[in-house]
Amino acid sequence: MSGLSVAMTVNGQDRSLDVPVTQTLLETLRDQLALTGAKRGCNQGVCGACTVMVDGKPVRGCLSLTVNCDGAEVTTVEGLADGGALSGIQQAMADTNAVQCGFCTPGMLVSAFAFLREAKTPSVEEIQYALSGNLCRCSGYRKIIDAVQLAADRSAEVSS
Amino acid sequence: MNEANPFGGGVGTSIARPDIREKLTGRARYIADLSRPDMLHAAIVQSPVAHARIKGYETTAARAVPGVAAVLTGEDFPDGRMGAFIKDEHAIAKGKVRYLGEPVAVVAAESEAIARHAARLIEVDLEELPPVLTPEEALKEDSPAIHEGLEDYIKVFPAICNGNVASETEIGEGDVEAAWAGCDVVVEDEYETAPQAHLSIEPCGALAEIDEAGRVTLWSANQSVFRVQANVCESLKLPMSKLRCLTPKIGAGFGNKMEPHVQPLVVQLAIATGRPVKLILNRVEDFETVRHRHPFKIRCKTGATKDGTLVAREVEVLLDGGAYGDDSPGVLGYSLLMARGPYRIPNARCHGRLVYTNKMRFGAFRGFGNPQVAFAGETQIDEIAEKLGMDPLELRLKNMLRPGDRWFGGGEVASNGLAECAAQARRAARWGEAATDRSPGTVRRGRGIAFAAHISGLLGTGAIVRLLEDGSVVLNTGAVDIGQGSDTVLTQICASALKVPVEQVALASPDTDGSPYNWGTTASRVTYTTGRSVVAAAKKVEDAIKSHAGEILECAPHDLELRDGGKVGVKGVPDKEVSFIDVSLRAHWAAGGPIVANDSWVFNQPSVDPKRAVARGLPFPQIGVYSFGCVIADVAVDTVTGKAEVTEAWSAMDVGRAINPASVEGQIEGGFVQGMGFALMEELVWDGPRLVNPSMMDYKAPTFRDTPYALHSIIVEEPEPDGPFGAKGVGEIGLVPVPAAIANAIRNAVGIRPRKLPMTPERNLRSMLEADDAA
Amino acid sequence: MTEPGIDVAFHRPRTVEEAVALLRGDDGAMCLAGGATLVAMMNAALVEPSGLVSLSGVDALRNAERLQDGSARIGAMRKHCETAEETVLENGQCVLREAARQIANMPVRNMGTIGGSIAFFDPAADYPPALVAADAVVEISGPDGERTVPAAEFFVGWYETALGPGDIVTAVRLPAAPKGSIGLFHKLARVSGDFATASIALILAMSGETVTHLAIAVGACGPTPVRLPDIEAELTGKVLDGAGIDRLAMTLADKLDPIDDVRASAEYRRLVAPRMVKRAIAEAAATLRGVA
Repeated sequence: MSGLSVAMTVNGQDRSLDVPVTQTLLETLRDQLALTGAKRGCNQGVCGACTVMVDGKPVRGCLSLTVNCDGAEVTTVEGLADGGALSGIQQAMADTNAVQCGFCTPGMLVSAFAFLREAKTPSVEEIQYALSGNLCRCSGYRKIIDAVQLAADRSAEVSS
Repeated sequence: MNEANPFGGGVGTSIARPDIREKLTGRARYIADLSRPDMLHAAIVQSPVAHARIKGYETTAARAVPGVAAVLTGEDFPDGRMGAFIKDEHAIAKGKVRYLGEPVAVVAAESEAIARHAARLIEVDLEELPPVLTPEEALKEDSPAIHEGLEDYIKVFPAICNGNVASETEIGEGDVEAAWAGCDVVVEDEYETAPQAHLSIEPCGALAEIDEAGRVTLWSANQSVFRVQANVCESLKLPMSKLRCLTPKIGAGFGNKMEPHVQPLVVQLAIATGRPVKLILNRVEDFETVRHRHPFKIRCKTGATKDGTLVAREVEVLLDGGAYGDDSPGVLGYSLLMARGPYRIPNARCHGRLVYTNKMRFGAFRGFGNPQVAFAGETQIDEIAEKLGMDPLELRLKNMLRPGDRWFGGGEVASNGLAECAAQARRAARWGEAATDRSPGTVRRGRGIAFAAHISGLLGTGAIVRLLEDGSVVLNTGAVDIGQGSDTVLTQICASALKVPVEQVALASPDTDGSPYNWGTTASRVTYTTGRSVVAAAKKVEDAIKSHAGEILECAPHDLELRDGGKVGVKGVPDKEVSFIDVSLRAHWAAGGPIVANDSWVFNQPSVDPKRAVARGLPFPQIGVYSFGCVIADVAVDTVTGKAEVTEAWSAMDVGRAINPASVEGQIEGGFVQGMGFALMEELVWDGPRLVNPSMMDYKAPTFRDTPYALHSIIVEEPEPDGPFGAKGVGEIGLVPVPAAIANAIRNAVGIRPRKLPMTPERNLRSMLEADDAA
Repeated sequence: MTEPGIDVAFHRPRTVEEAVALLRGDDGAMCLAGGATLVAMMNAALVEPSGLVSLSGVDALRNAERLQDGSARIGAMRKHCETAEETVLENGQCVLREAARQIANMPVRNMGTIGGSIAFFDPAADYPPALVAADAVVEISGPDGERTVPAAEFFVGWYETALGPGDIVTAVRLPAAPKGSIGLFHKLARVSGDFATASIALILAMSGETVTHLAIAVGACGPTPVRLPDIEAELTGKVLDGAGIDRLAMTLADKLDPIDDVRASAEYRRLVAPRMVKRAIAEAAATLRGVA
């Protein structure tokens, strides 16, 4: 199938890809790069399971066309850990038992990771506002909020 | 938070799930993430009409598309019929279409895009029949029969069925007719609940692969590898030995993955093409073809004497089952069994009917009919309290089921923590202290309460526990973890039973080849039924260990005790001990054989005692043990728009024993929010035969901002005597009382009495304005 | 998802002129702004463009500026997350900022653009009533050159705007709002991030108890935002009183032309919109009194 050349950095690795014009970033990540962390939950941008970071901002992988991401820096859930060490938010979600089925987790982590880079002492309302685009049907949200606050607290301890 | 534990993560500790890292790093593999070499992708073709005879198919154009490997229509499928209670469903529409959107053909091709493209080129020649769109229409004498062969279908229970009535069930105790005369207050009303979508974030899908011997391996989004196996083999007329069912990671189910979706389709395609075939439904297809919660129409009548003693209850329900029976007869029966509520009401009659309509099937969904009848029953309890001038909590406490009391129908209730649930919820919420806010302003606040009961059931389960050569343990139960945490809990139970750290217990993935039969992850059953099996199998392993140790240490097995960390020694003699390694090596190489034990059982407590109650058309003669709960909810109602929001809630649930407290909380919290969605906003809407909102844009469930952070889960432990370490289930009960508690809170806030779910701003505002007009 | 065998052209022009020329050259081509709407429709096979003209490389569309006369110009490719924090908006112009904050959710706000949103014109979207209340104009470039259209005339009907074939929205411009005026956006929706069931966009300025500026538009209750400048003018210069507000609210309600949809019935919208109007005005007035 004919496509266009796209160069992106994905989780720190330079990638050169040939993609059809109508292929979404979600499809490219999952099907061409075997990064299956981001999920297809609705393909309409509502559920948030496809959330990835493009140039540092969380966006919908299912609503991004890869051809429009030439030169972009993409980070998926697979890129959040540093080698074997889980990022603060990943460890916090383990510690507050915020993960049940785990299907929303990759997108949730990306949104939370990006949020925590800006917000150092987030309130419950701020967390709810930042993550309202990530649906979770299992948890009732409370333990995820606890995880974000825990990660922020730990981060503050480290820097103080 | 995780706690350090002397037993190394056993029962009672909130340890992290064994697969937590996988899920956190995006490496967990769900059905859509799997692939096999040389794999094809499939897509479904859906019927454009609700009720029709299929005259033929036009597939030439589709077959001609480059990359298409197979096109199968109903004519290419065997005519086996599957169904959990009534075997009324083929693998795909055959000869007849019964709901708009029903799969009528499937295409397998080199890519999903090609398959979908080819699917759009397939035409079906249909002779339309008049569609039956409501249960009322379905009940009419002259209404077209949706299942002409209903009488001849195999049924697994004594179903009372005719015409479009798939099942009729009744349970009764005492003499309801005579009892009304003795009541000082009687409340009677009609209620309606809307169909709710499970909305698991993962849509349904399956992948099948056939080997050279013609044996198929099938992975699918499922809640039971055994139900998948049975359904596929029944519908495709395959011997069960020809199908092996495995499970990937599951992205939640809540009931919609308990019975089949596309599994028979991919298996048949794999057989036809000789290649692996994968089919993942998109969200719209998942909405349109899988299953949803039953809409209920309920007439409920409750009577009491003026001192607040509940005397009689009568409930009549009408269920829209959609086009196929699925779990519906079970939902009907269960809702009636639960409809009297957790109260000592001596006279009760609960009767209902399930009808077919030309809509997609309705099926199992967390609560299984109980949330619907609880909405009616628990709001009616409040109405009685109001009429008598009694506190609604006091009225409930006066009448609640006490330890030793039996359930409606006579079933034994071996553990009953309801009083403790009420006491803890009342204390935590400061019931009675918070005065309803009547200050001026456009927001009115109110508080409501509801009680609940639910079962942990039923049917068959097993466990195999095996000691490896080095003394580690392998546990195999066949129970599918759908995200609720059963893998963790069962491992903890096994570890505690054998006094080894959890890290020393490996859990085998469910496999119809190697796992013991497990009916499924449903009915809040896994912790209780499978956990019980694990304890029993572990006990047999303990006995075998002691037998070996007795030989090694030259003493009688009954003088031995298990010690922490995989050891066994003589009671009272600390330095006389051997390790599991010593025992296992002896077993493997010297005598007795490798230690492996199996337990297998079927829940066998009867649901109804024929000396106490009458029952007709009951779909399950044996159901489960009972759990109880109490929810208090605070709401704020915007009097300008009618929109109600939950601001805080307390949910106290009697779970017998919390094997993993954080996971129990997770179930309580998740159940609350799903119940809140059902109560306030979730509604599948049909316009004639067509589902109007089969997308996440148009069907809405609560987000972070619609959900209170102040959700307090309270774990009450009233040990279930037969439960593993006293545990019973919690998967569903957290949802059951929520709509009623919220409805009662709305009443408290703005004085309206909702009788329809969901309690949308529109419905609330209308009621509020009508009440104003009437005043 | 890619339709097999179909080649879709992809262009990434650097200027508006290039973009217009590309659209002129292929009438099956569509503009790709943030993708939040277009890609969702492509995924659902609701549109099948023969070509895509991506505007993400047209820097001229990315700016926001406050002009000499106090008006604010927001480039068409400004994202909702940017408009939600937009500092060039002042006084009552902040109604646009309030609207942006309530669009969808964070990741979608990081993608969606004001130009893309208004060009598609979902009548339940949040910008239209805010732009109408703000007396904004829409700047357009097309095959026939450049023109501006007042917001009230730009939004023509259900998913229909004043854009002709080959036209591109290049910016929206909001005139200066009176000093001290407040901009409010109230949105009733089923859940956070949903399209509105009903929305109210309001700009209010008062001097003591006298209304010096009043502009209010109702969204999501018909094919276009509804506003009654005549009644607003009658109430301006007078003391804010209940009777006047009621008359405004009820007349607005009469002018609504809502439909039944999954979010609500037409009847409910007619019922709730005037109630929301009254509340919005009361709240804005209270805030102004608090500040004064």
